[in-house]
Amino acid sequence: MLAQIFEATGFSTVLVTNMPYWAEKMGTPRTIGVEFPYGHMLGTPGNREMQMAVIREALSLLEDAQKPGVIRELDIEWPQPFDEAKRDWQPAEPSPIVAMMLEQRRKAAQQAHAGGEAGSTQS
Amino acid sequence: MPVDSFKYLPGSIAAYYRNMPVQKLEPVPFTPLAKPLSESRFALVTTAGVTAGDQPPFDQEGERRNPMWGDPTYRHISRDVRQDEIGAWHMHINNRDILEDVDVVLPIHRLLELEAVGAIGSLAPTSYSFMGYQMDNREWREKYAPEVAGLMKDEAVDAVLLTPA
Repeated sequence: MLAQIFEATGFSTVLVTNMPYWAEKMGTPRTIGVEFPYGHMLGTPGNREMQMAVIREALSLLEDAQKPGVIRELDIEWPQPFDEAKRDWQPAEPSPIVAMMLEQRRKAAQQAHAGGEAGSTQS
Repeated sequence: MPVDSFKYLPGSIAAYYRNMPVQKLEPVPFTPLAKPLSESRFALVTTAGVTAGDQPPFDQEGERRNPMWGDPTYRHISRDVRQDEIGAWHMHINNRDILEDVDVVLPIHRLLELEAVGAIGSLAPTSYSFMGYQMDNREWREKYAPEVAGLMKDEAVDAVLLTPA
């Protein structure tokens, strides 16, 4: 959405995202898709070559795109085992909304359990 | 190889995102790059919740009080920023790698290198950092994004590289 506003204000924008699905749905002017974990759109820390490779693709898309909505997906592999990467990007402590949802789910399960017990004592 | 947009999400959240209705902006806005890259001035915009120096953190207490709310304000990040000045306050990602190397989301030092070799015209004096957890993006749309657009105009920015988080 920020990209759309800046583009409409007269800037040429390029978005580097791991969710090109959303970029396509929303209508982003130029998109580089990377299959990287959240919070790491340019690569791994201290990896100058990887970061530069992504940036160079973004720059060339800025130059090449002739129409809005172009999405270029990069074939750069994340250099970490999948399970580890999937765990590592997540915050140590669940975000407030996730904590709230987990609490709601716990309460609902508890209620269902209590309801089941009440039912069995009546029978 | 097509990118799997849901690869790193837990299953329940992936399903939620996949089914969330989205209004596509039509027509998609488009501003062709007016100059060669080697003459273009860049700004960077991230939504990774980065701060610099003694700037106030993004409001985590407010989000704890109301989990549906995220701090919609933004911070100016100078091209002179040092890694040891970087703070990171996004509650939906692990901020450890940003605190080690801000360039994983806001590649200021990479752009300075590209400027030094003439691959881009320049990196503008200021880049910008938002915090991407916004259930309601009205304040971005109506207030903060137009404000940042104005600041970028003042610094003669041509092109913007954005990284969401």
